[in-house]
Amino acid sequence: MVTKEDIEHVAKLMRIDIDNADEHFERIQKIMNYFDILDKADIESEEIPVQEVTIGELREDKYIPFESKLITNLKNYKGTFVRAPKMN
Amino acid sequence: MSLAISALEYISNVKNGTTTAEEFIAKTLDRISKHESKVHAFISINENALEQARAIDKKIKSKEKVGAFYGMPISIKDNISVKDGKTTCASKMLQEYVSPYDATVVTKLKSQDAILIGKANLDEFAMGIATEFSAFGPSKNPWNTDYVPGGSSGGSAASVSALECVASLGSDTGGSVRNPASFCSVVGLKPTYGLVSRYGLVSYANSIEQIGPIARRVEDVALLLNHISGRDANDNTTIDGKNQDYLGEIGSGIQDKKIGVIKEMSRGAGLDKNVESAFWRAVDSFEKLGAKIEEMSLDMVEFTVATYYVLTTAEAGSNLSRYDNIRYGYQMDLEGYEFKSYISKARKNFGPEVTRRMILGGFVPSAGFAGKYLLKALKVKSKLKRQVLEAFKKFDFLISPTVPILPFRFGEKVDDPLAMYMADINTVTANLTGVPAISVPFEIHNGLPIGIQIHANTLQEKQLLQAAYALQGTTSLPGAPL
Amino acid sequence: MIGLEIHCQLTNLQSKLFCSCKANYREFEPNTNLCPVCMGLPGSLPRLNQKAVEKASMIAMALNCKTPQRLGFFRKNYFYPDLPKNFQITQLNMYGPTSIGDQGKVSIEGKDIRIRRIQLEEDPGRLIYEGASERTQITLVDYNRAGTPLVEIVTEPDFDNPRQVRIFLNILSDLLENLGVSDPTLEGAMRADANVSIEGGLRVEVKNIGSFHDLEKAIHFELTRQQSLAERGIPVAQETRHWDDKRKITISSRSKEEDEDYRYILEGDIPWVVLDSKSIEKWRGSMPESISSKKERYITKYNIPVQVADVLSSDKYYSDLFEQAHTESNAKEIANMITTDLMGLVDTREKREQSKLSPKHLSDLIEIINNGKVTRSSAKNALQEIVKTGKSVSEIVSQTGLAKISDEGELGKIITEIMSQEPTAVQQARENPQTINYLVGKVMQKTKGTADPTLTLKILKEKIST
Repeated sequence: MVTKEDIEHVAKLMRIDIDNADEHFERIQKIMNYFDILDKADIESEEIPVQEVTIGELREDKYIPFESKLITNLKNYKGTFVRAPKMN
Repeated sequence: MSLAISALEYISNVKNGTTTAEEFIAKTLDRISKHESKVHAFISINENALEQARAIDKKIKSKEKVGAFYGMPISIKDNISVKDGKTTCASKMLQEYVSPYDATVVTKLKSQDAILIGKANLDEFAMGIATEFSAFGPSKNPWNTDYVPGGSSGGSAASVSALECVASLGSDTGGSVRNPASFCSVVGLKPTYGLVSRYGLVSYANSIEQIGPIARRVEDVALLLNHISGRDANDNTTIDGKNQDYLGEIGSGIQDKKIGVIKEMSRGAGLDKNVESAFWRAVDSFEKLGAKIEEMSLDMVEFTVATYYVLTTAEAGSNLSRYDNIRYGYQMDLEGYEFKSYISKARKNFGPEVTRRMILGGFVPSAGFAGKYLLKALKVKSKLKRQVLEAFKKFDFLISPTVPILPFRFGEKVDDPLAMYMADINTVTANLTGVPAISVPFEIHNGLPIGIQIHANTLQEKQLLQAAYALQGTTSLPGAPL
Repeated sequence: MIGLEIHCQLTNLQSKLFCSCKANYREFEPNTNLCPVCMGLPGSLPRLNQKAVEKASMIAMALNCKTPQRLGFFRKNYFYPDLPKNFQITQLNMYGPTSIGDQGKVSIEGKDIRIRRIQLEEDPGRLIYEGASERTQITLVDYNRAGTPLVEIVTEPDFDNPRQVRIFLNILSDLLENLGVSDPTLEGAMRADANVSIEGGLRVEVKNIGSFHDLEKAIHFELTRQQSLAERGIPVAQETRHWDDKRKITISSRSKEEDEDYRYILEGDIPWVVLDSKSIEKWRGSMPESISSKKERYITKYNIPVQVADVLSSDKYYSDLFEQAHTESNAKEIANMITTDLMGLVDTREKREQSKLSPKHLSDLIEIINNGKVTRSSAKNALQEIVKTGKSVSEIVSQTGLAKISDEGELGKIITEIMSQEPTAVQQARENPQTINYLVGKVMQKTKGTADPTLTLKILKEKIST
């Protein structure tokens, strides 16, 4: 059972401010409860499904510079550095 | 000159001089300016379209080599990158983001002289089935503007249905091409996973989604697929589709083909009675076309909606992490914040549905829950795929209604996300298994469209399009009454 | 007990792990070695570097790891401004063994150091802090490094002491150099975290160690710190500490570690790479000889003493010189010349870069020693000149008069002179023939080593006994 505190905690982990957990609580709980249907599936012996490629299909190790100076497409920059908020 | 023509007709008209690219684009832009206030299919319009059309006309006139589309107007869902233009994903987070590169499909279309007429509206980051979750306002269904156009590629389907372009590219993660195609009475294809490059498609749930064409005719969808499919060095997940010609032999018919009716999608409590009866009339049509029909069961379908939402929220939670508003995004001053508080505040600009899915996406792969949700969902996916591939040993096609419900009014489902998610039950199987599926318009019930879904085995798009074309031939549907 | 997590950049690759930007980002202005992929722009997709897989696999094999059948990538999700996507593409063995190597071991002084796992992953960007006070501080980010191929080696806590760590790091840097995948001397190419605990104490993780040199220091500091706490009866707390490379101490991380949950998920954009046995065998075959087998070969084939073979095999510069200079007959002498005479002349990176010495110089020198043209000690002097100027051996011998003085008359004169200067030594040598070597030394000194030692001894003996 998911609690309001869980939702607040996860929102924090996902770095999204939510004004209050109530607006999400009922809906998320309902959806998470619905997910419990997976407990009924007979799938114990199943493998993890993944796509495969051969080594030969991988990218050749070659230096090709990108066609334009990307930094000018970015915001918050100083000189050619990107600016981020202070860390603490 | 009518705008209500197919892509093939457009191309032959331009080739034989009946019309010019400039004339057609001008008329299309007129149509857009006249109807956009009602339909709101676009987030942005290509301001150089006319100029590009003239350049193509000039090439035609001077007998230079011209690309296959001859200046045909195509809309592009706004989660597909077009160089030097905004790619917003209908999100406030990316309202000012300009892509420095073209998606592979865009490069291909441009090289074939298609004109990218505008960027189509969608549910924010492609999460939704009604285009109601666009941060820039919903698109409307051209059949009845009180009703949703479906989603998430609602702008794409509406723009095609409203004659604001000839065709469109959408993306389909759990039905996002097929659902609005069904709701707007147009054709929409979700190709085999890996047949079309995703490079430049903004990821929502990258392990299952594909870019897919939307058009008013099956043959137009085939034409588009001819030009957007193929291996791409920029996308490690693309596979070899053997460069098939999907358009050639499209009229081969489906005599003696074996068609399975997926019981779990075609009967039962969640299915609208009108959709159900239309579907069984479509079954009759298939039978009359010479196909052998048999009802069959895919018992894992029961778990597909839960599986789909576990996998997609987990992947979305990760894919959308990069939107922290530091390198690109919208203007928000850095002063007065530290990193954590800054990005948490910035990410408040996600809409409510995206926020909800991000929270779900924080739960399902977390250390305490991964075994309960994510691992099981992966295993369901694996078993479902085996069941579907097994079924294709016996059947050429598997069919169902595309959406179990009719188009609904705005606001009708917004407050009950779970009910909304259940409307995906018929479309998510193709995404979870990677097989191709198409939605073909079949009936209009009380002014609301109903589409039929056909699945085929992996990389059997050619056969799939033949079946869709055959079904299309049994119908004679009007255009949207705009 | 000490366990290590070592990050090695594959600096010698051309391109980054998932895009075609340059792997060695050091020559670029900030944020000019970027593309949509390494910046994680919307819609971009990773494209795995084939060579990175090959080289990382070789590192894993060289450390005796098991190679998985399929290589899988996962996303480690956490928010940090140096991560363009706010997740790192890395490897782990969540659904069976899919990281580039696991369960390896390296033997050090008879003790097995187990390698838990080796993973191929992308390096984040770099943060630079600017601003005088905490209030005015801003963070600047340079993403040039983001996406650089990184091999992380995780050991079990099997090291007993810093010396074993040092030996391990030596083996590792030699190995990386030997494989030609990485230049460990480049700034930031090798970084490490260490888990350190003393008997009865809790585990302390020391992060942010920027070089192998500092790693040793950090471990030493941390062990001492923990021991002195224990002596005073203060329990060692389980915590994360950071290495302060200016003050050379570890500092408790102020911010208490959040309960990080990395929400690992499969990286669906990179299909699992099938490591077929044919490719693996091809790579194994093309791997340079391991240090241990090289050492073994030097000892058994050429009868080179163990200590000499040790030095020679574990330094790629020396062993390359040796391999190119030696023949069946002169191997032992070449080895000796490298490990005794040459070593002090080329013991740093700068000296090696400036050195004009070629393998042929060494074989030529041994040849003229053997055919009696110069003495060993003259050859040593010549070596100095060669390293500096690159002149050929014959040129140096003719120009600088290194040719051996084997003229009996000339040598006799010099010896007479020395004997008149050293009457006491002469007297001693008469009483005790063992001490005659002192006089031989004097002659050598005077002739700058060009005197034929055999002839010198013979003449000395004659003159002393008369």
